[in-house]
Amino acid sequence: MKTNNSNIFKKIAGIAGIPTATLLIMVILCASQGVKLFETEGNWILFFRAAASVMLTTFALSLNLNSGRFDFSIGSVSLLSSVISASICIAMGLPTIVMLLISIVSGALLGMISGAVYVIVKLPPIIVSLGVALFYEGLAFAITKGYGVSFVANGELTSFPSVLNYALVIIFGLVIFIFIFDYTQFGYDYKALLSGQKVSVNTGIKEIPNAVGCYTIAGALMGVVGFISATNTGTIQMALNFGSIGVMFTAFLPMFIGGFIGRFCNEKAGYLLGAVTTAFISLMYARLNIDASVQQIVTALILVGFLIYLNNENKIIELVMLKKFVKGKVQ
Amino acid sequence: MNKNQIKKYLMNLTPLFGLLALFIAFLVLGTIQDINISYGLKSIINQSVVVAVVATGAIFIYTLGSFDISLGASVAVSALIGGMVYNKTERIFVMTLVCIGVAVLIGLFNSVLASVFNLPVFVTTIAMLSVLNALVLVLIRINGTGSEIAVPAAAVKGLNNTPFKIVVLLLFFLISMFIFSFTKIGRMQKFQGGNPVCAKLSGIKEKKMAIIAFAMSGIGVGLGAFLSIIYAPTLTKNTASSVGMDVIIAIVFGGMPVSGGARSKIYAAVVGAFSMTLLSQIMVMFNLNSGIGQMVKAAIFILVVFLATSDQRGKMLPR
Repeated sequence: MKTNNSNIFKKIAGIAGIPTATLLIMVILCASQGVKLFETEGNWILFFRAAASVMLTTFALSLNLNSGRFDFSIGSVSLLSSVISASICIAMGLPTIVMLLISIVSGALLGMISGAVYVIVKLPPIIVSLGVALFYEGLAFAITKGYGVSFVANGELTSFPSVLNYALVIIFGLVIFIFIFDYTQFGYDYKALLSGQKVSVNTGIKEIPNAVGCYTIAGALMGVVGFISATNTGTIQMALNFGSIGVMFTAFLPMFIGGFIGRFCNEKAGYLLGAVTTAFISLMYARLNIDASVQQIVTALILVGFLIYLNNENKIIELVMLKKFVKGKVQ
Repeated sequence: MNKNQIKKYLMNLTPLFGLLALFIAFLVLGTIQDINISYGLKSIINQSVVVAVVATGAIFIYTLGSFDISLGASVAVSALIGGMVYNKTERIFVMTLVCIGVAVLIGLFNSVLASVFNLPVFVTTIAMLSVLNALVLVLIRINGTGSEIAVPAAAVKGLNNTPFKIVVLLLFFLISMFIFSFTKIGRMQKFQGGNPVCAKLSGIKEKKMAIIAFAMSGIGVGLGAFLSIIYAPTLTKNTASSVGMDVIIAIVFGGMPVSGGARSKIYAAVVGAFSMTLLSQIMVMFNLNSGIGQMVKAAIFILVVFLATSDQRGKMLPR
């Protein structure tokens, strides 16, 4: 009974520890400057938007990265899908929900094309993704003639930002992602290929449709990320020469945090909590008006610090145990 | 040599043929459009030389099967610190040494961090990219006019000529080629990249190899920073901003396998850097919209790498 309780406690601590500790630290940091972390509705919107956007990007990145497929093109998929959906909706006067649907469909299509190129040319995914990123950035630039898209004055298309809408995106995104990867044949095949590519292929699992499927899903997710970004500001700025890859970097920290939390619960829920953790940090940066360069350094240090812990966990635990043992002996 | 071997050999040379074809296309188009070919070539060398030097050093990292995404930011930081030192000392030689020293230190920091704490090198370089990009902003803010750090143009004017840049590139390339192809270190690097387990069992020290690779790459980055200052002595937050990704593209375009190992080629960096710049220049000649130009560039990039690696495809999807 005691062991059971101890396991449950460990599990709860493992799941909630990092987000709760981060929230506490952020609240204290803000309080020390006389600011509340959550004060206005705008703060809540910013928090939920960051959580939704980062969670979906983390899903999209981890989906292929866990399978050894490094994908530089996710940012360009997000950019191009939002350009396509916004251009269509502005031209035809369509509502926000249609823009969201077009973003998802065009993102999925772009992801599918990216996956198809990968399976046809059979080049390392990192190379294919570099080519695809350049191509999509170029296409977005060509469509908008380099001017980008602006719909700041369009009240309908910029009406999406709200806590409820972002919360719905998070819930639907998480539920659909868990369903696809934990409760369908596609997901089972994905997991089998993840743990042993050769064995899985030899047992009859079709790797090519699975890989293209993964790229398609990642594309659809990035379509939503592009939609969130575009409807937030009402503008889509162009990026050439890999200017779009920055989006990808936002997902590394939550991915590693999510991977750690995933030891105690469903990994996808772990990614959500990883995204929530980084959203707390983003909100703190905004509330304290932290300089962009300081933000970059702090985030990088947190990433390195966390990775050092993850990669040396056993050594650190051994060291702590040894210290306890020595202390006990001395006493 | 049988037919298959000849085919394999020729396929391996695809990047070189690609460079030659692009060069001929540039000459033909230039003649048809009546542009100043000699000026065009100078411009190509100016644009390629920084990427070629940085990429040549980076080949050592790629040979190990590793990857460094922070090279562009490293060039920027080294150039900025070099520029600051010049403004204090007014000595080009000291500035050059500082550029190289800072770049080597950054490289060593990356490799030591990865080795000591068992971190994946790629992730370490991602974190380093953020730190270095932030450092660029900080350095400019505290040491320049707020938006730039300027080295007097007159101080570097004498060095801003094509022969000098070619000499720098050639010297670094020859030294790198010697280490890569004719020394034990180069062989060990290729062995380590091709089969890390066997390499370890043979007594090759993984950490030592990583440190050497990052140090060589650091020298390339430092020289790249020095050449960047010579070409554009007014340093801003955009200095060398595209170098990082250009290096990756150049290395792959030049025929270097991303998995490293025995197939690694030291010349891939130079071939790739010049090919990509020639390609960009040809796009400009066609007067294409920047977006369409980039799309064509992307398609040619995939095609050339596809042809160059046509003998390396297995039954399963590569990862």
